[in-house]
Amino acid sequence: MEMWLRTWAILWKDILIEVRTKGTFNAMAFFAALILFIFSFAIGPDFELLRRIAAGLLWVGITFTGLLALARTYHSEELAGGLEALLLYPGEPRAIFLGKLIGNLMVLLVVEAILYPVAAVLFHMQLAGHVLPVAGIAVLGTFGFSVIGTFYSALTLHLRAREVMLPLLVLPLLVPVILGAVSATAALIDPSARGGVGGWVRLLIAFDVLYFVVCTWTFPVLLER
Amino acid sequence: MGQLGEASVSTGSSGAGTPALRLGGAGKRFARNWGLRDVDLEVGPGELVALTGPNGAGKTTLLKIVSALHRATTGTVEVLGCRLPAEENLVRERSTLLPPHGYVYEQLTGLENLRFARLMAGVKPTSETREQIDRALDRVGLLAAADERVGGYSSGMRKRLAIARLLLRPVELVLMDEPYASLDVAGIELVDEIVGELRAGGSTILLASHRWERAIREADRLVVMERGRITWMGSPGEWAGRPAGAGGA
Repeated sequence: MEMWLRTWAILWKDILIEVRTKGTFNAMAFFAALILFIFSFAIGPDFELLRRIAAGLLWVGITFTGLLALARTYHSEELAGGLEALLLYPGEPRAIFLGKLIGNLMVLLVVEAILYPVAAVLFHMQLAGHVLPVAGIAVLGTFGFSVIGTFYSALTLHLRAREVMLPLLVLPLLVPVILGAVSATAALIDPSARGGVGGWVRLLIAFDVLYFVVCTWTFPVLLER
Repeated sequence: MGQLGEASVSTGSSGAGTPALRLGGAGKRFARNWGLRDVDLEVGPGELVALTGPNGAGKTTLLKIVSALHRATTGTVEVLGCRLPAEENLVRERSTLLPPHGYVYEQLTGLENLRFARLMAGVKPTSETREQIDRALDRVGLLAAADERVGGYSSGMRKRLAIARLLLRPVELVLMDEPYASLDVAGIELVDEIVGELRAGGSTILLASHRWERAIREADRLVVMERGRITWMGSPGEWAGRPAGAGGA
Protein backbone atom coordinates (compact mmCIF):
# COMPACT_ATOMS: atom_id res chain seq x y z
CA MET A 1 0.00 0.00 0.00
CA GLU A 2 2.80 2.37 0.95
CA MET A 3 4.48 1.59 -2.35
CA TRP A 4 1.43 2.80 -4.28
CA LEU A 5 1.27 5.93 -2.11
CA ARG A 6 4.88 6.69 -3.03
CA THR A 7 4.20 5.88 -6.68
CA TRP A 8 1.27 8.29 -6.60
CA ALA A 9 3.38 10.95 -4.85
CA ILE A 10 6.00 10.88 -7.61
CA LEU A 11 3.37 10.89 -10.35
CA TRP A 12 1.44 13.76 -8.70
CA LYS A 13 4.63 15.80 -8.27
CA ASP A 14 5.78 15.22 -11.87
CA ILE A 15 2.36 16.01 -13.36
CA LEU A 16 2.17 19.21 -11.31
CA ILE A 17 5.63 20.28 -12.47
CA GLU A 18 4.86 19.37 -16.10
CA VAL A 19 1.55 21.25 -16.07
CA ARG A 20 3.32 24.33 -14.68
CA THR A 21 6.41 24.31 -16.87
CA LYS A 22 5.11 22.44 -19.95
CA GLY A 23 8.82 21.85 -20.54
CA THR A 24 8.53 18.37 -21.94
CA PHE A 25 5.12 18.42 -23.57
CA ASN A 26 5.50 21.59 -25.66
CA ALA A 27 8.92 20.57 -26.96
CA MET A 28 7.70 17.07 -27.79
CA ALA A 29 4.50 18.10 -29.53
CA PHE A 30 6.31 20.68 -31.65
CA PHE A 31 9.18 18.32 -32.51
CA ALA A 32 6.82 15.46 -33.38
CA ALA A 33 4.69 17.59 -35.68
CA LEU A 34 7.85 18.91 -37.33
CA ILE A 35 9.15 15.40 -38.03
CA LEU A 36 5.86 14.32 -39.60
CA PHE A 37 5.71 17.44 -41.78
CA ILE A 38 9.31 16.91 -42.93
CA PHE A 39 8.56 13.30 -43.91
CA SER A 40 5.42 14.40 -45.67
CA PHE A 41 7.22 17.08 -47.71
CA ALA A 42 10.25 14.88 -48.38
CA ILE A 43 8.22 12.01 -49.82
CA GLY A 44 5.86 14.20 -51.82
CA PRO A 45 2.27 13.66 -52.96
CA ASP A 46 2.59 9.92 -53.64
CA PHE A 47 -0.46 8.95 -51.58
CA GLU A 48 -0.08 5.23 -52.16
CA LEU A 49 3.54 5.22 -51.00
CA LEU A 50 2.68 7.42 -48.01
CA ARG A 51 -0.13 5.10 -46.97
CA ARG A 52 2.14 2.05 -47.19
CA ILE A 53 4.89 3.53 -45.05
CA ALA A 54 2.65 5.61 -42.77
CA ALA A 55 2.94 3.34 -39.72
CA GLY A 56 6.73 3.31 -39.99
CA LEU A 57 6.96 7.09 -40.35
CA LEU A 58 4.60 7.58 -37.45
CA TRP A 59 6.69 5.38 -35.14
CA VAL A 60 9.91 7.05 -36.24
CA GLY A 61 8.27 10.30 -35.09
CA ILE A 62 7.13 8.72 -31.82
CA THR A 63 10.58 7.23 -31.19
CA PHE A 64 12.55 10.44 -31.66
CA THR A 65 9.95 12.48 -29.81
CA GLY A 66 9.84 9.94 -27.00
CA LEU A 67 13.60 10.15 -26.55
CA LEU A 68 13.13 13.82 -25.67
CA ALA A 69 10.70 12.88 -22.91
CA LEU A 70 12.91 10.07 -21.62
CA ALA A 71 15.94 12.36 -21.35
CA ARG A 72 13.92 14.60 -19.03
CA THR A 73 12.57 11.80 -16.82
CA TYR A 74 14.62 12.79 -13.79
CA HIS A 75 14.99 16.47 -14.70
CA SER A 76 13.07 17.74 -11.65
CA GLU A 77 15.29 15.64 -9.38
CA GLU A 78 18.41 16.98 -11.05
CA LEU A 79 17.23 20.52 -10.31
CA ALA A 80 16.41 19.54 -6.72
CA GLY A 81 19.87 18.08 -6.13
CA GLY A 82 19.81 14.61 -7.65
CA LEU A 83 18.05 11.30 -7.23
CA GLU A 84 19.04 11.45 -3.57
CA ALA A 85 16.08 13.81 -3.19
CA LEU A 86 13.91 10.70 -3.61
CA LEU A 87 16.17 8.21 -1.84
CA LEU A 88 15.99 10.05 1.47
CA TYR A 89 12.60 8.53 2.11
CA PRO A 90 11.90 5.05 3.43
CA GLY A 91 10.03 2.47 1.40
CA GLU A 92 10.30 0.40 -1.73
CA PRO A 93 12.61 2.11 -4.28
CA ARG A 94 10.67 0.49 -7.12
CA ALA A 95 7.94 3.06 -6.43
CA ILE A 96 10.29 5.64 -7.97
CA PHE A 97 10.48 3.58 -11.16
CA LEU A 98 6.74 3.00 -11.31
CA GLY A 99 5.89 6.66 -10.69
CA LYS A 100 8.32 7.83 -13.36
CA LEU A 101 7.15 5.10 -15.77
CA ILE A 102 3.49 6.06 -15.47
CA GLY A 103 4.43 9.73 -15.90
CA ASN A 104 6.39 9.03 -19.10
CA LEU A 105 3.62 6.81 -20.40
CA MET A 106 1.01 9.51 -19.82
CA VAL A 107 3.01 12.27 -21.50
CA LEU A 108 3.78 10.06 -24.51
CA LEU A 109 0.17 8.95 -24.90
CA VAL A 110 -1.07 12.55 -24.80
CA VAL A 111 1.47 13.50 -27.50
CA GLU A 112 0.41 10.47 -29.55
CA ALA A 113 -3.22 11.51 -29.24
CA ILE A 114 -2.21 14.60 -31.21
CA LEU A 115 0.26 12.79 -33.48
CA TYR A 116 -2.04 10.07 -34.81
CA PRO A 117 -4.69 12.43 -36.29
CA VAL A 118 -1.93 14.63 -37.78
CA ALA A 119 -0.31 11.53 -39.32
CA ALA A 120 -3.69 10.32 -40.58
CA VAL A 121 -4.15 13.57 -42.49
CA LEU A 122 -0.57 13.90 -43.77
CA PHE A 123 -0.06 10.24 -44.73
CA HIS A 124 -3.63 9.42 -45.74
CA MET A 125 -3.89 6.67 -43.12
CA GLN A 126 -7.24 4.88 -43.11
CA LEU A 127 -7.97 4.97 -39.37
CA ALA A 128 -11.76 4.81 -39.74
CA GLY A 129 -13.06 1.61 -38.26
CA HIS A 130 -9.68 0.79 -36.69
CA VAL A 131 -9.39 3.53 -34.09
CA LEU A 132 -9.64 1.29 -31.03
CA PRO A 133 -7.28 -1.47 -32.24
CA VAL A 134 -4.75 1.15 -33.43
CA ALA A 135 -5.02 2.90 -30.03
CA GLY A 136 -4.50 -0.44 -28.27
CA ILE A 137 -1.33 -1.11 -30.29
CA ALA A 138 -0.14 2.43 -29.54
CA VAL A 139 -0.61 1.81 -25.81
CA LEU A 140 1.27 -1.50 -25.96
CA GLY A 141 4.12 -0.01 -27.97
CA THR A 142 4.33 3.08 -25.81
CA PHE A 143 4.36 0.99 -22.65
CA GLY A 144 7.39 -1.02 -23.79
CA PHE A 145 9.05 2.18 -24.96
CA SER A 146 8.44 3.88 -21.59
CA VAL A 147 9.65 0.91 -19.54
CA ILE A 148 13.00 0.70 -21.32
CA GLY A 149 13.37 4.47 -21.49
CA THR A 150 12.58 5.10 -17.82
CA PHE A 151 15.05 2.42 -16.78
CA TYR A 152 17.90 3.58 -19.00
CA SER A 153 17.25 7.22 -18.17
CA ALA A 154 18.12 6.38 -14.54
CA LEU A 155 21.10 4.29 -15.66
CA THR A 156 22.60 7.12 -17.70
CA LEU A 157 21.72 9.88 -15.23
CA HIS A 158 25.27 10.35 -14.00
CA LEU A 159 27.05 9.78 -17.32
CA ARG A 160 28.86 12.71 -18.85
CA ALA A 161 27.66 12.00 -22.42
CA ARG A 162 24.14 11.12 -21.32
CA GLU A 163 22.38 12.72 -24.32
CA VAL A 164 24.34 10.44 -26.64
CA MET A 165 24.40 7.35 -24.45
CA LEU A 166 20.66 7.22 -23.79
CA PRO A 167 19.59 6.72 -27.45
CA LEU A 168 22.56 4.41 -28.08
CA LEU A 169 21.52 2.10 -25.25
CA VAL A 170 17.76 2.39 -25.68
CA LEU A 171 17.26 2.12 -29.45
CA PRO A 172 18.65 -1.43 -29.92
CA LEU A 173 16.40 -2.69 -27.13
CA LEU A 174 13.42 -0.92 -28.65
CA VAL A 175 13.72 -2.77 -31.98
CA PRO A 176 11.23 -5.54 -31.10
CA VAL A 177 8.77 -3.03 -29.63
CA ILE A 178 8.95 -0.68 -32.61
CA LEU A 179 8.88 -3.59 -35.06
CA GLY A 180 5.80 -5.01 -33.36
CA ALA A 181 4.00 -1.68 -33.15
CA VAL A 182 4.77 -0.68 -36.77
CA SER A 183 3.88 -4.08 -38.23
CA ALA A 184 0.67 -4.45 -36.22
CA THR A 185 -0.45 -0.91 -37.10
CA ALA A 186 0.40 -1.44 -40.78
CA ALA A 187 -1.46 -4.75 -40.85
CA LEU A 188 -4.54 -2.99 -39.49
CA ILE A 189 -4.63 0.10 -41.69
CA ASP A 190 -3.17 -1.29 -44.91
CA PRO A 191 -4.95 -4.42 -46.16
CA SER A 192 -2.12 -5.07 -48.63
CA ALA A 193 0.41 -5.42 -45.78
CA ARG A 194 1.69 -8.91 -45.07
CA GLY A 195 1.21 -10.77 -41.84
CA GLY A 196 -1.56 -10.90 -39.30
CA VAL A 197 -2.07 -8.46 -36.46
CA GLY A 198 -2.27 -11.19 -33.81
CA GLY A 199 1.34 -12.35 -34.06
CA TRP A 200 2.74 -8.85 -33.80
CA VAL A 201 0.49 -8.02 -30.85
CA ARG A 202 1.68 -11.17 -29.07
CA LEU A 203 5.27 -10.12 -29.72
CA LEU A 204 4.53 -6.68 -28.28
CA ILE A 205 2.87 -8.13 -25.18
CA ALA A 206 5.72 -10.60 -24.65
CA PHE A 207 8.40 -7.89 -24.79
CA ASP A 208 6.32 -5.51 -22.65
CA VAL A 209 6.00 -8.15 -19.93
CA LEU A 210 9.66 -9.19 -20.20
CA TYR A 211 10.99 -5.63 -20.06
CA PHE A 212 8.61 -4.61 -17.27
CA VAL A 213 9.56 -7.55 -15.04
CA VAL A 214 13.32 -7.24 -15.64
CA CYS A 215 13.45 -3.44 -15.31
CA THR A 216 11.21 -3.29 -12.22
CA TRP A 217 13.16 -6.10 -10.57
CA THR A 218 16.60 -4.65 -11.23
CA PHE A 219 15.83 -0.93 -10.77
CA PRO A 220 17.00 -0.76 -7.11
CA VAL A 221 20.46 -1.87 -8.24
CA LEU A 222 20.72 1.33 -10.34
CA LEU A 223 20.23 3.42 -7.22
CA GLU A 224 23.17 1.91 -5.32
CA ARG A 225 26.02 4.37 -4.91
CA MET B 1 40.05 11.57 24.76
CA GLY B 2 41.97 14.22 22.90
CA GLN B 3 44.34 13.72 19.99
CA LEU B 4 43.83 10.64 17.87
CA GLY B 5 45.92 8.79 15.37
CA GLU B 6 44.84 8.26 11.78
CA ALA B 7 42.75 5.20 12.57
CA SER B 8 40.77 6.70 15.39
CA VAL B 9 38.76 4.79 17.93
CA SER B 10 36.24 6.08 20.39
CA THR B 11 33.23 5.06 22.38
CA GLY B 12 29.95 6.86 22.70
CA SER B 13 29.71 9.12 25.67
CA SER B 14 26.14 8.34 26.59
CA GLY B 15 23.47 5.72 26.58
CA ALA B 16 23.32 2.15 27.66
CA GLY B 17 22.58 -0.68 25.24
CA THR B 18 22.74 -0.35 21.47
CA PRO B 19 24.66 2.64 20.17
CA ALA B 20 22.75 4.89 17.79
CA LEU B 21 25.61 4.64 15.36
CA ARG B 22 28.67 2.43 15.01
CA LEU B 23 31.19 2.62 12.18
CA GLY B 24 34.04 0.14 12.08
CA GLY B 25 36.84 0.88 9.63
CA ALA B 26 34.36 2.51 7.28
CA GLY B 27 35.69 3.85 3.99
CA LYS B 28 34.26 5.14 0.75
CA ARG B 29 36.10 5.23 -2.54
CA PHE B 30 35.02 7.39 -5.49
CA ALA B 31 36.85 6.15 -8.59
CA ARG B 32 40.52 6.46 -7.53
CA ASN B 33 39.98 8.75 -4.57
CA TRP B 34 38.95 7.87 -1.05
CA GLY B 35 36.27 10.20 0.29
CA LEU B 36 36.37 8.46 3.65
CA ARG B 37 39.02 6.15 5.07
CA ASP B 38 39.22 3.86 8.11
CA VAL B 39 36.65 5.69 10.16
CA ASP B 40 35.78 4.20 13.54
CA LEU B 41 33.05 6.05 15.35
CA GLU B 42 30.45 5.19 17.95
CA VAL B 43 27.63 7.54 18.94
CA GLY B 44 25.42 6.86 21.93
CA PRO B 45 21.63 7.29 21.96
CA GLY B 46 20.56 10.89 22.56
CA GLU B 47 24.06 12.19 21.97
CA LEU B 48 24.79 15.26 19.85
CA VAL B 49 28.00 14.83 17.94
CA ALA B 50 29.38 17.66 15.82
CA LEU B 51 31.48 16.74 12.79
CA THR B 52 33.73 19.49 11.68
CA GLY B 53 36.62 20.01 9.32
CA PRO B 54 37.48 21.83 6.11
CA ASN B 55 35.73 21.32 2.78
CA GLY B 56 36.47 17.87 1.41
CA ALA B 57 37.14 16.44 4.86
CA GLY B 58 34.55 13.68 4.36
CA LYS B 59 31.76 15.01 6.57
CA THR B 60 29.06 14.81 3.89
CA THR B 61 30.30 11.41 2.71
CA LEU B 62 30.06 10.11 6.26
CA LEU B 63 26.50 11.45 6.64
CA LYS B 64 25.47 9.95 3.30
CA ILE B 65 26.78 6.56 4.34
CA VAL B 66 24.98 6.74 7.68
CA SER B 67 21.74 7.85 5.98
CA ALA B 68 22.01 4.90 3.54
CA LEU B 69 22.33 7.18 0.50
CA HIS B 70 25.82 5.81 -0.17
CA ARG B 71 27.30 2.41 0.55
CA ALA B 72 30.60 2.11 2.35
CA THR B 73 33.32 0.53 0.23
CA THR B 74 35.04 -0.94 3.27
CA GLY B 75 34.22 -1.57 6.91
CA THR B 76 30.96 -2.01 8.76
CA VAL B 77 28.16 0.45 9.41
CA GLU B 78 25.47 -0.10 12.00
CA VAL B 79 22.75 2.51 12.51
CA LEU B 80 20.18 2.20 15.33
CA GLY B 81 21.05 -1.47 15.59
CA CYS B 82 20.50 -2.06 11.85
CA ARG B 83 23.30 -3.23 9.58
CA LEU B 84 23.86 -1.30 6.39
CA PRO B 85 23.26 -1.87 3.53
CA ALA B 86 21.16 -4.94 4.39
CA GLU B 87 18.63 -3.02 6.48
CA GLU B 88 18.77 0.34 4.72
CA ASN B 89 15.01 0.69 4.56
CA LEU B 90 14.71 0.38 8.33
CA VAL B 91 17.43 2.99 8.73
CA ARG B 92 15.60 5.39 6.40
CA GLU B 93 12.41 4.87 8.39
CA ARG B 94 14.09 5.72 11.68
CA SER B 95 16.44 8.49 10.58
CA THR B 96 16.39 11.60 8.45
CA LEU B 97 18.91 13.85 6.75
CA LEU B 98 18.89 17.61 6.39
CA PRO B 99 20.88 18.00 3.17
CA PRO B 100 23.00 21.09 2.53
CA HIS B 101 21.06 22.12 -0.57
CA GLY B 102 17.62 21.24 0.68
CA TYR B 103 16.47 18.83 -2.06
CA VAL B 104 13.38 20.94 -2.66
CA TYR B 105 11.44 21.28 -5.90
CA GLU B 106 11.48 24.80 -7.32
CA GLN B 107 8.32 24.40 -9.37
CA LEU B 108 6.23 23.37 -6.36
CA THR B 109 5.09 25.64 -3.55
CA GLY B 110 6.43 25.25 -0.04
CA LEU B 111 3.17 23.58 0.97
CA GLU B 112 3.31 21.15 -1.96
CA ASN B 113 6.92 20.26 -1.20
CA LEU B 114 5.94 19.24 2.32
CA ARG B 115 2.85 17.37 1.07
CA PHE B 116 5.10 15.45 -1.29
CA ALA B 117 7.54 14.68 1.55
CA ARG B 118 4.73 13.30 3.71
CA LEU B 119 3.42 11.09 0.90
CA MET B 120 6.91 9.83 0.14
CA ALA B 121 7.36 8.97 3.79
CA GLY B 122 4.29 6.77 3.44
CA VAL B 123 1.96 8.99 5.48
CA LYS B 124 -1.58 8.89 4.11
CA PRO B 125 -3.25 12.29 3.73
CA THR B 126 -5.80 12.95 6.45
CA SER B 127 -7.95 15.88 7.54
CA GLU B 128 -5.06 16.93 9.81
CA THR B 129 -2.42 16.95 7.08
CA ARG B 130 -2.77 20.64 6.27
CA GLU B 131 -2.72 21.59 9.94
CA GLN B 132 0.48 19.58 10.57
CA ILE B 133 2.19 21.06 7.54
CA ASP B 134 1.11 24.57 8.51
CA ARG B 135 2.52 24.00 11.99
CA ALA B 136 5.89 22.95 10.55
CA LEU B 137 5.91 25.92 8.16
CA ASP B 138 4.98 28.28 10.98
CA ARG B 139 7.78 26.88 13.12
CA VAL B 140 10.36 27.88 10.49
CA GLY B 141 8.67 31.20 9.67
CA LEU B 142 7.42 30.24 6.21
CA LEU B 143 3.68 30.07 6.75
CA ALA B 144 3.08 33.34 4.89
CA ALA B 145 5.02 31.98 1.89
CA ALA B 146 3.41 28.53 1.97
CA ASP B 147 1.59 28.97 -1.35
CA GLU B 148 4.49 30.59 -3.18
CA ARG B 149 6.63 28.55 -5.53
CA VAL B 150 10.02 27.62 -4.09
CA GLY B 151 11.69 29.01 -7.23
CA GLY B 152 10.97 32.44 -5.77
CA TYR B 153 12.40 31.57 -2.34
CA SER B 154 15.80 32.84 -1.20
CA SER B 155 18.45 30.24 -0.34
CA GLY B 156 17.74 30.85 3.34
CA MET B 157 14.02 30.22 2.82
CA ARG B 158 14.81 26.98 0.99
CA LYS B 159 16.94 25.86 3.91
CA ARG B 160 14.08 26.72 6.28
CA LEU B 161 11.73 24.65 4.12
CA ALA B 162 14.10 21.69 4.34
CA ILE B 163 14.13 22.15 8.13
CA ALA B 164 10.32 22.16 8.14
CA ARG B 165 10.41 18.82 6.26
CA LEU B 166 12.60 17.50 9.05
CA LEU B 167 9.88 18.36 11.56
CA LEU B 168 7.17 16.40 9.76
CA ARG B 169 8.42 13.00 10.81
CA PRO B 170 9.72 12.23 14.31
CA VAL B 171 12.81 10.01 14.05
CA GLU B 172 15.45 8.57 16.34
CA LEU B 173 18.50 9.78 14.41
CA VAL B 174 18.77 13.21 12.79
CA LEU B 175 21.66 13.91 10.42
CA MET B 176 22.29 17.56 9.63
CA ASP B 177 24.67 18.55 6.87
CA GLU B 178 25.73 22.19 7.10
CA PRO B 179 22.48 23.23 8.84
CA TYR B 180 23.73 26.80 9.33
CA ALA B 181 24.65 27.40 5.68
CA SER B 182 22.63 30.08 3.84
CA LEU B 183 20.88 31.18 7.03
CA ASP B 184 20.79 34.63 8.60
CA VAL B 185 21.23 35.20 12.33
CA ALA B 186 17.57 34.45 13.08
CA GLY B 187 17.80 31.30 10.98
CA ILE B 188 20.92 30.13 12.81
CA GLU B 189 19.15 30.65 16.12
CA LEU B 190 16.18 28.71 14.77
CA VAL B 191 18.44 25.76 13.95
CA ASP B 192 19.86 25.85 17.47
CA GLU B 193 16.34 25.90 18.94
CA ILE B 194 15.22 22.99 16.77
CA VAL B 195 18.35 21.02 17.63
CA GLY B 196 17.48 21.61 21.30
CA GLU B 197 13.89 20.46 20.76
CA LEU B 198 15.02 17.33 18.90
CA ARG B 199 17.42 16.48 21.71
CA ALA B 200 14.71 17.04 24.30
CA GLY B 201 12.60 14.60 22.31
CA GLY B 202 15.35 11.98 22.64
CA SER B 203 16.78 12.09 19.11
CA THR B 204 20.43 11.41 18.48
CA ILE B 205 21.98 14.12 16.32
CA LEU B 206 24.99 14.05 14.04
CA LEU B 207 25.65 17.59 12.86
CA ALA B 208 28.25 18.35 10.21
CA SER B 209 29.43 21.91 9.86
CA HIS B 210 32.64 23.59 8.82
CA ARG B 211 31.65 26.32 11.30
CA TRP B 212 33.28 24.49 14.20
CA GLU B 213 32.84 27.36 16.66
CA ARG B 214 29.06 27.04 16.18
CA ALA B 215 29.10 23.26 16.31
CA ILE B 216 31.12 23.27 19.53
CA ARG B 217 28.48 25.31 21.33
CA GLU B 218 25.81 22.70 20.84
CA ALA B 219 27.70 19.41 20.90
CA ASP B 220 28.39 16.79 23.54
CA ARG B 221 31.32 15.67 21.48
CA LEU B 222 33.36 17.10 18.67
CA VAL B 223 34.80 15.02 15.83
CA VAL B 224 37.34 16.72 13.61
CA MET B 225 37.88 15.31 10.13
CA GLU B 226 40.45 15.95 7.47
CA ARG B 227 41.01 14.24 4.12
CA GLY B 228 38.48 11.55 4.89
CA ARG B 229 39.89 10.59 8.27
CA ILE B 230 39.07 11.47 11.86
CA THR B 231 41.98 13.46 13.22
CA TRP B 232 40.65 14.50 16.61
CA MET B 233 37.77 13.54 18.86
CA GLY B 234 36.79 14.79 22.27
CA SER B 235 34.55 17.04 24.29
CA PRO B 236 34.20 20.74 23.51
CA GLY B 237 36.09 21.40 26.76
CA GLU B 238 39.00 19.26 25.62
CA TRP B 239 38.96 21.08 22.30
CA ALA B 240 39.26 24.43 24.06
CA GLY B 241 42.21 23.15 26.11
CA ARG B 242 43.98 21.25 23.30
CA PRO B 243 47.63 21.87 22.51
CA ALA B 244 48.21 24.47 19.80
CA GLY B 245 47.84 22.95 16.32
CA ALA B 246 46.20 19.73 17.46
CA GLY B 247 43.21 18.57 15.48
CA GLY B 248 43.79 20.70 12.47
CA ALA B 249 40.44 22.53 12.42
